[in-house]
Amino acid sequence: MRASGLVKRFGERRAVDRVDVELAAGECLAVLGPNGAGKSTLLRMLATLLRPDQGALAVCGHRLPERAGRARAEIGYLGHDPLVYLDLTARQNLELYADLYGLPDARRRVDDALDRVGLLARSFDPVRTFSRGMAQRLGLARALLHEPRLLLLDEPYAGLDAAGAHLLDAVLADAVRDRGVVIVTHEVERGVALAGRLLVLRAGRAVLSERVGALDGATFRARYEELVA
Amino acid sequence: MSAGDPSWPRQMRALLLKDLRLELRTRDTAVAMVLFVVLAMLIFQFAVGSRGTDLTPYAGGILWATLSLTAVLGVGRSWVPERDQRVLDGILSAPVSRLVLLTSKAATIYAYLLAVEIVAVPLMALFFVRGSVAGDLGLIAVTCLLANLGIAVLGSLYACLALFARARELLLPVLFLPSLLPVVIAAAGAVNAVAGGTNDLAEYRGYSLFLAVYAVIFGLVAYATYDHVFDD
Amino acid sequence: MTDARPGRRLAATATATAALTALAVYGVFFVAPEDADQGIIQKIFYFHVAIAIGSLLAFLVACVYGIRYLRSRDERDDEVSSTAVGIGIGFAILVVITGSIWAKASWGTWWVWTDPRLVTFLIVLLLYAAYFVLRSSAEGERRMRYSAIYSIAAFASVPLSFYSVRVARSFVHPVVFTQNGANMPDSMLVWFAVSQLAVIGVFLTIMQVELLQRRADKALRRIKLRLEAAA
Repeated sequence: MRASGLVKRFGERRAVDRVDVELAAGECLAVLGPNGAGKSTLLRMLATLLRPDQGALAVCGHRLPERAGRARAEIGYLGHDPLVYLDLTARQNLELYADLYGLPDARRRVDDALDRVGLLARSFDPVRTFSRGMAQRLGLARALLHEPRLLLLDEPYAGLDAAGAHLLDAVLADAVRDRGVVIVTHEVERGVALAGRLLVLRAGRAVLSERVGALDGATFRARYEELVA
Repeated sequence: MSAGDPSWPRQMRALLLKDLRLELRTRDTAVAMVLFVVLAMLIFQFAVGSRGTDLTPYAGGILWATLSLTAVLGVGRSWVPERDQRVLDGILSAPVSRLVLLTSKAATIYAYLLAVEIVAVPLMALFFVRGSVAGDLGLIAVTCLLANLGIAVLGSLYACLALFARARELLLPVLFLPSLLPVVIAAAGAVNAVAGGTNDLAEYRGYSLFLAVYAVIFGLVAYATYDHVFDD
Repeated sequence: MTDARPGRRLAATATATAALTALAVYGVFFVAPEDADQGIIQKIFYFHVAIAIGSLLAFLVACVYGIRYLRSRDERDDEVSSTAVGIGIGFAILVVITGSIWAKASWGTWWVWTDPRLVTFLIVLLLYAAYFVLRSSAEGERRMRYSAIYSIAAFASVPLSFYSVRVARSFVHPVVFTQNGANMPDSMLVWFAVSQLAVIGVFLTIMQVELLQRRADKALRRIKLRLEAAA
């Protein structure tokens, strides 16, 4: 995924101001920054939910916005909400998405996905009866159902119970191996721990963008505070 | 790896099934619409018919006045699951063509309208027509089928425009009804032509043709603009 | 920074329009032959029709610039589109008023449902009033995009509304359009044309004034922002 010079305006305000992002398969990018820095907006642009006012964006070789349809097949997005219908069962939700993504062998894949997030037992219950943590897990299953090459997660740990967080760790570790993952989070330490690349946004601008090796969360924290002050 | 090949018939089927399942589970919309149309008819009766006047020549008009107001309700509800349950982002980030999405919503609205008409048309005959309409029911049904097309296409497009507005319950009728007026005129005219006492088939044909043209024109407008309705 | 050209263009358009309007008024009221039945009130008809056509042209411009906006996403196209709708509505209100006066003079009541043009313009007023309600319900890019889409849909509604009213009427009275089209003596036709040009001139003038004002507003706001940032 490659993006350059992305700009998004809401009225007179620039929520995202000339940001460049680059990510290859097997890499994990953490987007950090204070509230209102434009992290979610940037992620939504990458997810093709928002059209950038300026700049170029290409996902898996598909240029946006022209080839949005093709690009979407390769993207898995999980926002603040799990993006599932509360009044449908877990299984019905995943079946819907399986159909939308045109996945072959849908039933088995749905079963596998539910199993992976530990919801197989509750698969026939409406999502309305789920706890927030369970719904979020279902959302994760949805985002991974079509095995996207680019996984976009917006504060995925928010609202997760301990079991869910544990699960997400495992899923992410697994995912990063052969996909590109972008995580938006305001938890600096976690972002640093997960990611191979960091992007720090402040008021829409990128104040830090680099590859990091094994970085110590605490040390980086100080630097981070400086950057966003 | 992501061996997905989205085909629009499959997507359409999935979306329609989803809307059907949601409606069956919650049963909100269809019941409310049916109740509403009955109440609206009663309002008309009490407002204009209480002197015992024969409302037969106006039956078609009353039918379509009440149906158009009910349609506003149905159209207003058409995106509620996506909006209230915040699923819209999920659907939009999937490789579903916006055209398929809009068409599935139009089909859902069409289904709701049919459900209401199945109740409203016999009620119109019962309440307002002195004399039998049994023979004309087929023609009235055709009018409904044609008019519903225009209403559904119009509704699904305008519902999107009102989707994110703060005062969307007010915005949608204001947006929707002026454009709907030609349908009301033609559909009422068509039903009146066959059920209103005279039996003027030439008139009926004229109005029906208009309804078809209306559906085609708005279909074209929707087709030209569908890609721009959502942010992408 | 400031471009004098738009100002000069405006002056030219305004002058031409003023001249045309004066000519039209003079011509319609003093030169054109008076109608045997209706006398002086019939003169309103010239303006009534000219303004009606002007209104439709304004909405056509709005639709065209709406399409252009969707292609270009350029704010200026949205400016033209929304200004055109505003002018179109202003004209439509005049059409309804002059039509009402005409109805009072011809049939004795201030409103009739039997004149397709009058009824259509009432519908048109409602259609485009909704445009502004829609506009105020959204902000920024979405406002412009939705306005553009609606300007196209509303414009499609205009002929549909007209024909539905007309079809409905034609089953009651056969449609006879008096004093419209070719069955008008040349002496009347000339002044029709002049009135029409005058109306188009008014449209262009108001459009230029509006656009100039908006651009000035924007430039002012930009300067303000820059000053605030520098402070």
